[in-house]
Amino acid sequence: MKLNIDGLLVYFPYDYIYPEQYMYMLELKKSLDAKGHCALEMPSGTGKTISLLSLIVAYMKANPLEVTKLIYCSRTVPELEKVVAELKNLMDYYEQQLGKGKPKILGLALSSRKNLCINPEVSQERDGKNVDALCHKLTASFVRANHKRDATVPVCSFYESYDAHGKEMPLPEGVYGLDELQEYGRKKGFCPYFLARHAITHANIVVYSYYYLLDPKIAEVVSKELSKNAVVVFDEAHNIDNVCIESMSIKITRRTLDKCQQNIDGLSKQIQRLKDCDAERLKTEYQKLVQGLRDANIARETDVILANPVLPDDVLKEAVPGNIRTAEHFLGFMKRFLEYMKIRLRVQHVVSESPPSFLKDCYQKVCIERKPLRFCAERLNSMMRTLELVEIHDFSALSLLCHFATLVSTYAKGFVLIIEPFDDRTPTISNPILHFSCMDASIAIKPVFDRFQTVVITSGTLSPLEMYPRILDFRPVTMATFTMTLARTCICPMVVSKGNDQVAMTSKYETREDVAVIRNYGNLLVEFCSIVPDGIVCFFTSYIYMESTVAAWYEQGILDQVQKHKLLFIETQDAAETSLALLNYQKACENGRGAVLLSVARGKVSEGIDFDHHFGRAVIMFGIPYVYTQSKILKARLEYLRDQYQIRENDFLTFDAMRHAAQCVGRALRGKTDYGIMVFADKRFARADKRSKIPRWIQEYLKDGLCNLSVDEAVQVSKRFLRQMAQPFSREDQLGLSLLTVEQLDQEDTKKKLQSRMQYV
Amino acid sequence: MDDQGCPRCKTTKYRNPSLKLLVNVCGHSLCETCVEALFVKGSGICPECGTALRKNNFRVQLFEDPFIEKEIEVRRKILKDYNKKEEDFKTLEEYNDYIEMIETLIFNIVNNIDVDETRQMIEQYKRENKDQINKGRNKKSKDEEYLECLIEQEKEESSLKRKFIVEEEQREKDSKKKHKEALLDELMFSDRSALDILNEHKTDIDKENELRVPVMATTKFSTGIKLMGKYLRHIRSASDEEKGGGFESKLACMRALLDAVNGLFYLPDQV
Repeated sequence: MKLNIDGLLVYFPYDYIYPEQYMYMLELKKSLDAKGHCALEMPSGTGKTISLLSLIVAYMKANPLEVTKLIYCSRTVPELEKVVAELKNLMDYYEQQLGKGKPKILGLALSSRKNLCINPEVSQERDGKNVDALCHKLTASFVRANHKRDATVPVCSFYESYDAHGKEMPLPEGVYGLDELQEYGRKKGFCPYFLARHAITHANIVVYSYYYLLDPKIAEVVSKELSKNAVVVFDEAHNIDNVCIESMSIKITRRTLDKCQQNIDGLSKQIQRLKDCDAERLKTEYQKLVQGLRDANIARETDVILANPVLPDDVLKEAVPGNIRTAEHFLGFMKRFLEYMKIRLRVQHVVSESPPSFLKDCYQKVCIERKPLRFCAERLNSMMRTLELVEIHDFSALSLLCHFATLVSTYAKGFVLIIEPFDDRTPTISNPILHFSCMDASIAIKPVFDRFQTVVITSGTLSPLEMYPRILDFRPVTMATFTMTLARTCICPMVVSKGNDQVAMTSKYETREDVAVIRNYGNLLVEFCSIVPDGIVCFFTSYIYMESTVAAWYEQGILDQVQKHKLLFIETQDAAETSLALLNYQKACENGRGAVLLSVARGKVSEGIDFDHHFGRAVIMFGIPYVYTQSKILKARLEYLRDQYQIRENDFLTFDAMRHAAQCVGRALRGKTDYGIMVFADKRFARADKRSKIPRWIQEYLKDGLCNLSVDEAVQVSKRFLRQMAQPFSREDQLGLSLLTVEQLDQEDTKKKLQSRMQYV
Repeated sequence: MDDQGCPRCKTTKYRNPSLKLLVNVCGHSLCETCVEALFVKGSGICPECGTALRKNNFRVQLFEDPFIEKEIEVRRKILKDYNKKEEDFKTLEEYNDYIEMIETLIFNIVNNIDVDETRQMIEQYKRENKDQINKGRNKKSKDEEYLECLIEQEKEESSLKRKFIVEEEQREKDSKKKHKEALLDELMFSDRSALDILNEHKTDIDKENELRVPVMATTKFSTGIKLMGKYLRHIRSASDEEKGGGFESKLACMRALLDAVNGLFYLPDQV
């Protein structure tokens, strides 16, 4: 259908549209017009992706000078594939409507070498890092130079032919998913990975993972040259602050340091060898360094695997300090730094320190100043290139140390060093770890906000919305949350706060071991197993809590009762085991036997796996999934948030717990024809501060009467709900209410009604 | 660390947890007992390299690699004399050449390359630059100053924070108590329905919480001079009326101080 969104003609590839999709597009258009950032929350299963794509493509078509590019970031490869599929669908519709006149759009997905490589030898590797290393071994510029001299040196034929012909030949317009890229590469004999990486500079739509934009090490290589007039979309962005923080944090263990020692020994041997046979090369490197790093380092794309983390520009322009200019001096310097790190790791109790005091101590102990530390990462890169090392992967420990050195000397604020002598669980075994932890999510994402004109942050669960601009430090032009318009009440959220014996149900630390609480949780599960058809998914707050509870249930005979009704599956920390459990769970649901899956909030199941329709008719949330509050890193971050952004500890903890709870219960409902029960089994969920942080589309249906139920009452409510849902439901019922045609959309009163249903923040 | 041991008596840290390794200027380690045994007279030679050593020059080995220990010893000595800072040079290039030269000197001494020549060079430099060395000895480089400033700031902030938290807790306790009493009073004496009163109180408390945003700001000059209590002593304290108008005595103090030091920036040749 063709829509008129605030004067913009939008082609929408479906015959019907959800009201909230229409509103979503309106909001999006506003922020595109204003060239500002926005945060939008819309329930999952209401077609966020297609609304985003169709509006932005239409906008690009109408204003080709204002917006030239769409960068769509998602989390996992299956999600990328979904986006590409939607995009194809949209382009097909354009073709069908306009024929030849359709906009010329090149859209492509980019993923790691592991998913794109077509070299028969390299692509057999399973581990992503190995693939990268093997690829580098075949495509690095010095390897290829050697190949010219000596034909027995192996190179990648795909890369060679791409380099010879592929660069001049732009990718024909169209939409390329990962498979299409591989196919095209095979047909032409080009390397799909480098083809895609080259093509993203002129592609109109790029779909890739968060990390290509947020992790400074990768962004520097991949996304550096993207144009400013781009729209960046972060989908499923409810965890974006954690992604930002992770990409800037570094963990160093004793083993890392031992490996560094090996790396340094290896490097010094290499240098000695080079000195004996080809001293000229070291000299030219030295000359280059004297002149300054950057102009000598014209990024040859295959060599920049070990790129540097974000550095202020002035450092990049300056020459490398004299005391690490020659190779031997640099190695001596690294040795000293390494020894210093070793004595730092030899601690008896936990140390928490800021970067400045670390640097001061470093100067006093081993006479290392701040300035040469800042150049560490760059200097190591240059050295690796000069030595023509092929196995870059082997030197990952040393490059990690260098990154750490660069970061610690660059950022005085927003980071903390925490050295723990042992794991909290095993206090007798010495296992020192140095966490260099980023506390400010805005550091990693700041370049993105600064560079691109519009950044859209969107997800199904982004409540409370006002928290995100604060922790990411940006100013949105619009922030809005959309609810789901439903023709029938197909979600049934409830807070179960007590058992039949009136004992309060809570996962509070003091009472979680209480037999009565565990029994009541068990009863709740048994009762629901007997009334809910097909699949039930349960979430616990942690693996440890799940283990102890399940053990207690076993003793109390509750598991036997559960198994009378349904099969039982458990998520474990092992990924392979979990996916097997999931597979069998789905099988059990498929053949009508019904199953229960016990899993953990923040685990693999809670993020990214959908339990639509019969896979999840009920979700039970046992307790509030607070993060482990005793961790030193978390404490440091909370303190930082309070000082810097005036966010109180409790507010942040509740916010974090509630967004995970919302993620978990949101798994059950993936569309408007779906239905599901959402049980919050903890009395604390009924409190105003928690309840208000549940996404609005769930909150709407969480009436006061459903907020303080006992197990019995909950069962009654659910029974009634399930009976209602079992009635036949067709598209005609939805039309006009939750599904609109163009004519309906144009009516004035619908528009008014829609406006009243949206909420700005 | 467990596999470290004394090269002479072969004891390891694993067998004797209280093992203490010592090093001397030559960079070879010995355990404490061996040092006692070998250097009864107070001096002797290193069993590994034959250098003449004094007993009281032995110190505890801090680093795992004795070589590094030696290097840092040498480095400290040399840096004491070669103490020019980046600010002392006209261009960055000169400074870079200078620090590279230092690095080469250290490298040569530690690795026994032309030791005598290098030492001579150092002596010569010392003689030639005596004044400069004495002047530069206590000077700190820009970087060091920057770091120290940061650390001090941090300390200040943390002490402020601690104070603030204590105050905050106290205030919260007080207000909770007050609210509770007020609520009970109202419930006892008011004629309105209990639910209304409860709701009203809830919104009141919420409102109050929202209003309270912790602010922390230390008074500081743009130049970095901090306002101490000492200065304020010589300033007329502000009266209540003045305070009401937003005037604070430290404002006047700051202005006076600025006036006093402004002249330092007056450079006649620029006028």
